[in-house]
Amino acid sequence: MGLDPADETEGAIARADPRARLAALRARLAPPAGGRDLPPVLPLGVPDLDAHLPGGGLVLGPPHEIAPAEPVDAIAALGFALALGARHLARMSGEALIAAAPGQPLPYGHGLAGLGLDPARLLLLEAGSDAEVFRALEAALHARALTVLIGLLRDGMPLKPGRRLQLAAEGPAPPLLLILRPASAGLPNGSATRWRIAAAPAARDRFGTLDRPRWRARLERCRNGRGGDWLLEWDHAAHRLHLPEPLAGDAAAAGRSRA
Amino acid sequence: MTRLRRAGLAPERGPLAVAAEGAGGLRLVALDPEARALGLNPGEPLGRVRARIGVQLQVYPADPEADRDSLLRLCRWASAYAPLVVPFGPAEAADGLYIDVAGASHLRGGEANLVADLAARLARATIPARIALADTPGAAFALARHGGTDRIVVPPGGCAEALRGLPVEALRLDPDIAAGLRRLGLRRIEELDALPRGPLARRFGEALLLRLDQALGRRAEPLAPLTEAAKYAAARGFLDPIGRQSDIVRTARDLMAEIAPRLERDGLGACALRLALHRVDGAVRDLDLGLSRPERHPERVAALVSLRLDRLGSALDAGFGFETVALAVTVTGAMPARQMDLGSTMAGDGVGFLADALAQRLGRGLLRLEPRASHLPERADRGRAWVAKEDHGSLPAMGGGQMLALPPPSSGEGDPCVSRSRERGTRIPKGARPAGRAEPPSAPSLPSPGPLLGPRFPAEGGGKARTIASPWPDHLPPRPLVLFPRGEAALDVLATVPEGPPRRFRWRAQIHKVAHAEGPERIAAEWWREPGAERDYYRIECEAGHRLWLYRDGPHAPDRPAAWYVHGLFA
Repeated sequence: MGLDPADETEGAIARADPRARLAALRARLAPPAGGRDLPPVLPLGVPDLDAHLPGGGLVLGPPHEIAPAEPVDAIAALGFALALGARHLARMSGEALIAAAPGQPLPYGHGLAGLGLDPARLLLLEAGSDAEVFRALEAALHARALTVLIGLLRDGMPLKPGRRLQLAAEGPAPPLLLILRPASAGLPNGSATRWRIAAAPAARDRFGTLDRPRWRARLERCRNGRGGDWLLEWDHAAHRLHLPEPLAGDAAAAGRSRA
Repeated sequence: MTRLRRAGLAPERGPLAVAAEGAGGLRLVALDPEARALGLNPGEPLGRVRARIGVQLQVYPADPEADRDSLLRLCRWASAYAPLVVPFGPAEAADGLYIDVAGASHLRGGEANLVADLAARLARATIPARIALADTPGAAFALARHGGTDRIVVPPGGCAEALRGLPVEALRLDPDIAAGLRRLGLRRIEELDALPRGPLARRFGEALLLRLDQALGRRAEPLAPLTEAAKYAAARGFLDPIGRQSDIVRTARDLMAEIAPRLERDGLGACALRLALHRVDGAVRDLDLGLSRPERHPERVAALVSLRLDRLGSALDAGFGFETVALAVTVTGAMPARQMDLGSTMAGDGVGFLADALAQRLGRGLLRLEPRASHLPERADRGRAWVAKEDHGSLPAMGGGQMLALPPPSSGEGDPCVSRSRERGTRIPKGARPAGRAEPPSAPSLPSPGPLLGPRFPAEGGGKARTIASPWPDHLPPRPLVLFPRGEAALDVLATVPEGPPRRFRWRAQIHKVAHAEGPERIAAEWWREPGAERDYYRIECEAGHRLWLYRDGPHAPDRPAAWYVHGLFA
């Protein structure tokens, strides 16, 4: 600094005011505009929730870990993951892959419509073990052919495969990568976010019948972001998550009063 | 016998015999040289032999299937010399093989060098062998079995001369015919050949003359090859055996690059490939690679080979290395030339490659859910193996497609295309087995969808439910996200109204209190398949917020307790 006469004058101005000097230094150190884009994200459509996530949504590429709060909530966690996948599929072209370890629940074709997911855009792989799930996801990440990847694990994701997936996801146009694990298989693995999903009483329509599924979602860990706890409602027609309307009242209480 | 010794099942020394069930009890089938020196002959009853000789004879049961397998492995090994290798059939006692070396001997530096090379390799593998090379298969067989020495190379046109002094049994005759000839005093082929043909044919039938003519080259003898030679194939031999995975992959890529222009010229792509790895000790390992679409890109094939080797890992067992690597296209499909864009791939292209990669690396195929025309929820969808779409090149039909492996031209004097066809008979004692450990035949790499399906997609009983071509029906009431293959019993069901939904029940060792219930939706059983009760389905929400799909099996009846089952779970 200071070799250039133009810089010399600029420096003279800056030296006068420490604030201006700091700003000038910041501008000098800042990366060139547009040179490095922010990583692509999937916004969840809930401003309150997106504010907690870096970049305003789930980062595409690195794995996001989703776990049920209790073992009985496994289907709720699967529903949440498929809802996120459906949201991403609605915004992008391409297909989704579910790679499942043995014993993990695979979705029922006719039930996917209830989440707004087209079964024709879904590929299944029945893997023989967790290791095979990781291999399949890694191959899919390298192939860059699919939009959403969901892995259903039996024993959880250790650090090594998590890191491998992270490396494989680097590059242009990464897919949304979701890892579902059982409730009691929490391992350190460097995933971008970690969710805990519990079932919650569903929203009712005006006739009092079950309408939209609701989940209690806790963002346990979030790299470069904040955790949080929300009651989320999935609108399968619009492919978006809502926070429940405060006027809707307590759905469970409504059901109880009816019965 | 050699098979037993090589497998370490039999001792190296001592009189040894293989016996099998024959007429009147066990009879000897094969003998080792020491047993032969004792004066034993194949076909003798075992009991009499035991009584006659004074020394101890070790007897092993015959295993024709294992012998046949060993012979086939040896044939595969010998295919490194020439593509047309034929094991001996029953007429030749199934203990040897033919190699048609026409046009292939110069690769080994001439016929004499080829025979010497073959003999040296067999000797290194401790397989005793008698080798003869002659103009016709019949002559080569006769010389290998009844010739004076172990290595015989007959110059072209010298067949008749070489066969003159051999016994008539060398002509691959039925034992009855051979015995009849001996009774008439005809012991040698020259004596037989000198006789007028008419009376011979009348007395012994056409078979005798056919064998005689085949041996002397007057009539062609087509050989049915063990494996059909592939039209698109390439091979590479190595002076220094290779064993590293990267070397094998690079070789496969080079071989595919050799084949690709030929495929491209004919507008074809490879749908299935076979990579044959010839190990130094003679074992051959075949890797079958299936592809979802016709493909001829060397890099893709190399990537698939690499994934396959990843999966095999140490199971490949390179031993001391591979000396020959051969790549053959076993199934081809039409693959019209198409414009390649810079940097962009066709839609679906990547999924096809991913499917192939998973098939090679995990041995598992991708599935896609498919609606079925059935009212029963558990029969209304199924997983079906993913296949590439039609617009990315045509796929081979279910019947295996267009097998472009044409049979090679039949060798023989009658074939005008072959100026000089020479066969070599290799005689191997009974029970000989080739070098190398027993290798299981490699399974086809693309498994059929059947065994893949876990309990989630149980086998269809006769496949009566049609697959719906149209998209998924959208008029159904809500269906659960996860459906159990069979309903799981809900116990201790308490209901306020007998025919209504339950108030509380126990399922998976937990009490569920029902906060909300919707239904019933009545689904009748498919009486045309099997009788069953109709089911009343209810959507239930527990107080904890879990949503379940319950059904009562059969209508409510006052005289019997209702059976409730949990059939699915909602998100």
